[in-house]
Amino acid sequence: MMSDWSHEIVLAASILSWFIIGAGLAQTTIYLLQLIIAAYALSRRPPVARSALLWHRYGDVAPPIALLVPAYNEEVNVVESVHSMLALEYPNFEVIVINDGSKDHTLQRLIEAFKLVKFRRPYEEALAHEPIRGLYSSPMTERLFVVDKENGGKADAQNAGINVCRAPLFCVIDGDSILEPDALMRAAQPFIDDPERTIAVGGTIRIANGSRIEAGRVREIHLSNRLLPLLQVVEYLRAFLMARLAWSRINTLMLVSGAFGMFRRTEVVAVGGFTKGSMGEDLDLVIKLHRHMRDAGRKYRIQFIPEPVCWTEAPETLGVLARQRTRWQRGALECFFRYRSMLFNPRYGRVGFLGFGHILVVDVLGPVAEVLGYILIPAFWLLGILSTEYLLAFTSLIFTYGVCVSVCSLVLEEAELQRFPRARDLAVLTAVAVIENFGYRQLNNFWRVKGWWQYLRGNQGWGEMTRTGLTGAKK
Amino acid sequence: MWYIWDLSILLSALSLVIMLFLIARRVLQERRGRAQIDQRRQLHTALIAFTENRDREALKVVLLAVPAGVAIDAGFEFISLLRGEEYDDVLAAFDECGLPALVGKQLEKGNSAERMHAAEMLAALRSENAVASLLSALDRDRSREVRIAAAIALCDLGSLPPLDIALGKVGVAGQRSRRLIELFRRFPPARFEELRDHAARTDAIPFIRAAAIDALAHAAGFHFADFFARATGDQSPEVAAAALRALGLTGHAEAPAILASAMANGDWDVRAAAADAAGRLGLAGLAAPLSALMDDEAWTVRYAAANALRSFGQPGERLLRDIAASEVSRSQRTASLILAEGPAA
Repeated sequence: MMSDWSHEIVLAASILSWFIIGAGLAQTTIYLLQLIIAAYALSRRPPVARSALLWHRYGDVAPPIALLVPAYNEEVNVVESVHSMLALEYPNFEVIVINDGSKDHTLQRLIEAFKLVKFRRPYEEALAHEPIRGLYSSPMTERLFVVDKENGGKADAQNAGINVCRAPLFCVIDGDSILEPDALMRAAQPFIDDPERTIAVGGTIRIANGSRIEAGRVREIHLSNRLLPLLQVVEYLRAFLMARLAWSRINTLMLVSGAFGMFRRTEVVAVGGFTKGSMGEDLDLVIKLHRHMRDAGRKYRIQFIPEPVCWTEAPETLGVLARQRTRWQRGALECFFRYRSMLFNPRYGRVGFLGFGHILVVDVLGPVAEVLGYILIPAFWLLGILSTEYLLAFTSLIFTYGVCVSVCSLVLEEAELQRFPRARDLAVLTAVAVIENFGYRQLNNFWRVKGWWQYLRGNQGWGEMTRTGLTGAKK
Repeated sequence: MWYIWDLSILLSALSLVIMLFLIARRVLQERRGRAQIDQRRQLHTALIAFTENRDREALKVVLLAVPAGVAIDAGFEFISLLRGEEYDDVLAAFDECGLPALVGKQLEKGNSAERMHAAEMLAALRSENAVASLLSALDRDRSREVRIAAAIALCDLGSLPPLDIALGKVGVAGQRSRRLIELFRRFPPARFEELRDHAARTDAIPFIRAAAIDALAHAAGFHFADFFARATGDQSPEVAAAALRALGLTGHAEAPAILASAMANGDWDVRAAAADAAGRLGLAGLAAPLSALMDDEAWTVRYAAANALRSFGQPGERLLRDIAASEVSRSQRTASLILAEGPAA
């Protein structure tokens, strides 16, 4: 009787181990595939180094762009952010700041700094959003408009901005982020080269912690001297330079970051804009765009290009980072289950198989399988249920392949883009790319499992994102 | 299972070795970079001195002393600031130092970003072999962006092949690029007829035909008004809308009838372009169809119609006020919004 039980336990343990190792293998295979495609994509489209050249080349034919900046309780940074946005190098753009019912003095700061006056501007009420209390324009610059509305969340504010803007393209950016001066020109390039098919373009988000920032510009790029932002630098590099570039190359890009993305207004309006209350409103919008264009049988491109850069502040404490990561996980799960009918659906081609397959393996199953593996695989090995080779296979999938993927992302960055100014930075990041697999990766997966749990319990809160602000001196 | 472990060790070790190599390469680049900054500064000083003393020999000494890449980049940047005789003198010095030949080589052997830049530089350097190199790039380059850059450079040098041939070489995919609008805007007046012929071709890509019409409207004006009037009835909404916009710039004796008919078109882009053109031309006689368009299902059309009425001055504003005071409807709402536009009271 006892021997029957032990046989079944061994069988169950083996099946579970195979599931865990299989999930890890699938994830690793996807990453390696992405690395190869990203390397190919970068070699096919080398970056243009000087922005003056871009202006010379595209300045006359660049389409008008509206920069939409939702702001909620941003009184500390908003004026400097808007100044830096107004100074962007692009021939035809307007900045629309949407004050989303801030409880602090965000609107007052803007009114004072830009001498704003109430203004009436007819607009199409194409998307639903909370009521607008007033529109403001500035006698100091015709490029700036401020929309003051009742609080409805980021997606709601962005929808109000989309309604008010008149440009055929709009660019969403977080109020506390900093765009490189040539970022709009670089991001608009696919809309110039292929205006009929391009409907969305994402650029790179980089971490500004540690860099010297003056007057809303990143003047000197430095790495942070704190470990947590450094770990996120490598993480972002992997996410943007590897994953997004690769999927963009095969037109399967599922995420254009809400912190910096450019969209064609007509298509976004056609899909109903950003989904209000969504935890991952950026992912949600891109999935809707894919579905809309595929359902309509239209040819389209959703692209990621690495050169346009938006700087953001990374969380510096574990508590804030944990909240951010659990929220991202809930966003991914929410979108996956909301649009689950697209998964492996031949009607949606590569998007259904690769794009959704990626979310399934990396975001839905990945964290659960990996955290289970941390506990069960060593336990099974200690109990003698699993042989050493299983333990080593799992260890390699968690640690050594992780090192390879992170370091290879850095290799791609250095071989093609060289955006870190000093050799010392590269050496530091190489070390970080190795050590992030020993502790940080596991912590991250724990937060993602926590996100799963919150999703199952229906927790819809955003959690507080404490920021110290990008303005001011080097931190 | 062992192979998963072995492969992981091999791959991660390999990635670390490559990274270490790249770090070492970067150390060397940093040293070279500092030297290049000095060389650029040296060249800029020599170029500035040349514009004052025209000592070509002294400039040539410096040009030949710095690496070719530095000379090409800094030189191109500098000549974009010059005009007239100074420009020609610097070009002659560049030519004598063989810089255009080096740029020609870059057009053949660089990566796609470098090849595009080389095409632009060749147009600026105006060397003897520039046309041959650019024609070869237009003919053979595998990147459509480079082929378009070569076509624009050839146009600047007055050596663009016949338009149909040039567009054929750019390729069908390249014929969707807004860069071609720039090419058309640079067309010499002597070749406007060619643009018109292409815009009239019903088998050509609508985007390109529309771009050609826009370029003609801005550059040639009333000379092609008859053609624009005919093109307003084109099957393609994109072409018809472009022709209506063009008509709005040039005017035409038949414009009122043409615009009135276009305002009833099934495509909203055409209706909006017609309303916009009526406003530009100040055709107050079209107030009735414009008022009807203010009930259009597309906001863009309603807005264009209301703006057109407003541009007619007092009679138009009066009409808008009447509509705004009427029963609640789409027209009434649009009129109210347009009348309210501007600083709040």
